[in-house]
Amino acid sequence: MSPAVEVRLIALRELRRNVRSLKGVALGVITLLGALVSALVCVSIEGGERARAAAENEVYAELRRQAAEKATGDATLAAYIASAPSSLLLFLKITVWLAPLLVALVGFDGIAGELQNRTIRFWAVRSRRSSYFAGKLLGLWALIALVMLAIHVLADGVALTRGYVTIGQLATWGLRFWLVGVIIAGAWAAIATLVSASFRAPVIALMTTFAVFFALWLCGTIGFASRTMKALENGVTGPPPWYEYLYPNAYDAMLLSPSAGKAVTAVVILLGFVVAAMVAGAALLQRRDV
Amino acid sequence: MQGAAAVRVERVSKRFGPKTAVDGVTFGIDVGSVHGLIGPNGAGKTTIFSMLAGYLQPSEGVVEVLGLAPKSVDGLRARLGVLPQDALLPPGDTVGEFLVDMARLQDIPAAKAETCAREALDEISGKDWWGQRCGSLSHGMAKRVALAQAFLGAPEVVLLDEPTAGLDPRVAFEVRQLVAAKKGRCTILVSSHNLQELESLCDGAVVLDRGRVVASGTMSELTAANEQVRVLVAQGTTRGAKPGQVPLQELREISVVKTAEFDEERLEIAVLFERRQADAETVIAQVLAVLLRNQVRISGVTKGRGLERRVMDLT
Repeated sequence: MSPAVEVRLIALRELRRNVRSLKGVALGVITLLGALVSALVCVSIEGGERARAAAENEVYAELRRQAAEKATGDATLAAYIASAPSSLLLFLKITVWLAPLLVALVGFDGIAGELQNRTIRFWAVRSRRSSYFAGKLLGLWALIALVMLAIHVLADGVALTRGYVTIGQLATWGLRFWLVGVIIAGAWAAIATLVSASFRAPVIALMTTFAVFFALWLCGTIGFASRTMKALENGVTGPPPWYEYLYPNAYDAMLLSPSAGKAVTAVVILLGFVVAAMVAGAALLQRRDV
Repeated sequence: MQGAAAVRVERVSKRFGPKTAVDGVTFGIDVGSVHGLIGPNGAGKTTIFSMLAGYLQPSEGVVEVLGLAPKSVDGLRARLGVLPQDALLPPGDTVGEFLVDMARLQDIPAAKAETCAREALDEISGKDWWGQRCGSLSHGMAKRVALAQAFLGAPEVVLLDEPTAGLDPRVAFEVRQLVAAKKGRCTILVSSHNLQELESLCDGAVVLDRGRVVASGTMSELTAANEQVRVLVAQGTTRGAKPGQVPLQELREISVVKTAEFDEERLEIAVLFERRQADAETVIAQVLAVLLRNQVRISGVTKGRGLERRVMDLT
C-alpha cells in the first residue's frame, strides 16, 4: 500500500472523527454563530461607510485605500485590495484571526489523545508513522478549511443579500480570500499537530499549543509594531524583521499581493511550515515509544 | 514451514530510564504454534509484546516477526495482528467504521473490506454491534472487538496480550474457544495470568520473571508431563503397607518408575518415571493398579506438575 493511500484513509478518518465529536460540533456552532454576528457587523460598517460616502464614490474608494495602506504598509497592495468589497476583506481578517484559535481547540488532542489512550497502537501496526502524522495533519487542515468555507458562505451570503457584493465578486475575491485563509490555516494546523505528537497528555499539548501560538503572535505583533514605528519616524516603510515571518498570519498581505511572485513565495513558505512539520512529526513518532 | 521461526527475540533488553524492564531475553516461536508468555506482574510480558508489535524500540538486541523488524509496516501489513492490552478503541467511531478502517489499512480492497469486517465481527459473536459507537461498548465487548481486529484478514502471526483479562467467565470461555479455533491456522503468542488457560491452549511457553527468561520449552517439558505422574489421595491417607495406605515401596518397584514420593501435607503421590521406556498413560495405569489393589482412595490424577505449580516454583 502506498503512503498516499494510508494518508488518505487516516485523513478521512480524522476528518470524520473531528466533525462528529462533540467538541467539533460545539466549535463549529460557536464559529458559525460568531461568523454570523461578525458578518452583520461588517455589513453594517460597510453600510455606514457607504452612507457617508454615498455622494462621492471616489471618496469612498480613497477611504478604503488609505485604510488598507495603514494596515499593510504597502501602497501597491493597498491600491489593489481597495477594489475588493470591504465586507469580504474584513471577513478574511476575521477568519485568519480565528484560524489559530480554532486549530488549537480542535487539533490539540489529535495525536496526544490517541497516545494517551494508546488508540494509536491499532494504527501503528497498519500504517507508517509518517503517514499517520500526515493523515492527522491533513484531516485537521481539511476540517478547518471546511469551517472557513462555511463561514465565508454564511458571511458572503449576508453581503450578497444586502447588495454589497456581486456574484462575480464572490467568485473572484470571495474564493481568493477563502484560499488565503486555508493556506494560512495549514501552517497553524502543522504546528498544532507537531505539538500534539510531542506530548502524551492532551492538556499539556493544549497549553503548549496556546503558548507556541501566543509566542508566534508576539513575533508578528512586535514585528508589525516596530515596522510601523520606523515608518512613522522615517516616513518610509521598511521590510518586516525576520521574526515577523514566523507568524503565519503575517503572510496575508503577501498572499493578497497583486504580484504573483510575492503570492507564490508566501504559498511556498506556508507550505514549507507544513512540510517541515510533517518531516519533524514523522521523525518524532518514528523514534518515540507509542 | 513447520520449524521456521515466526518470532525471534534475541538478547533483547529494554530500559526505561534507570529501570530495566527486560534484560537479555532470548526465545523463538515456530510457525503455526501457539505459545504462551507467562510471568507475574512486572515480569516484562507487555514490554516484550510491545517490542514485538513495534510499539517500543528495544534498547538492545534483535526482535523479528516473520524475519522482519516489527516496524516494517509494509512488510508485515496484514501478516501481523495484535491485541494490545490497554489500548482504547476510538470512542467516536462505530464498531463497523473502526473495523473497516483497519481492513482498508491492511490493503483489503474497499469492496471487500466491509464483508471482511463483518465476518471478523461475526466470529466474536458481535454482529449486532456494527453500528454501535466503540465508546459505548462494555469492557468485554470492547475486548472482543479488539480481538476481531487482531484476527482481521487472517494474519500469519497474532500477538494477544491478556486476551481474557477482566472478562466474565462466560466471555473468557468464548475468547478461549476462538483462540483455540485459530490454532494451526496461524502462529499465536498469548500472554495471560490464567495459567490453566495457557496450559490448555499452548504448545509451548516462555516463563519470565523480573525481565528475564527463567524457563522455556514445550508445555510437556515445562510441566514435566512426559516424565511425572501425580496422584491425589483422600484426606487421612498415610504411607504404609496396610490396606488404604500408600504403598511407596511397591510403587518404586514398578519397572519404569525412577522415584515415588508421598507428600502427606498435600496428600499427593509424585511418581517420576523413565520417559524413554513408557508414556504417562501407561505409567498412570500401572500406578493406579497398585493403589487400587491396596484400597487407596484416589481423588485425582495429573500428568506432570501442572503449569501453575511450575510457574510458582520458578517465579
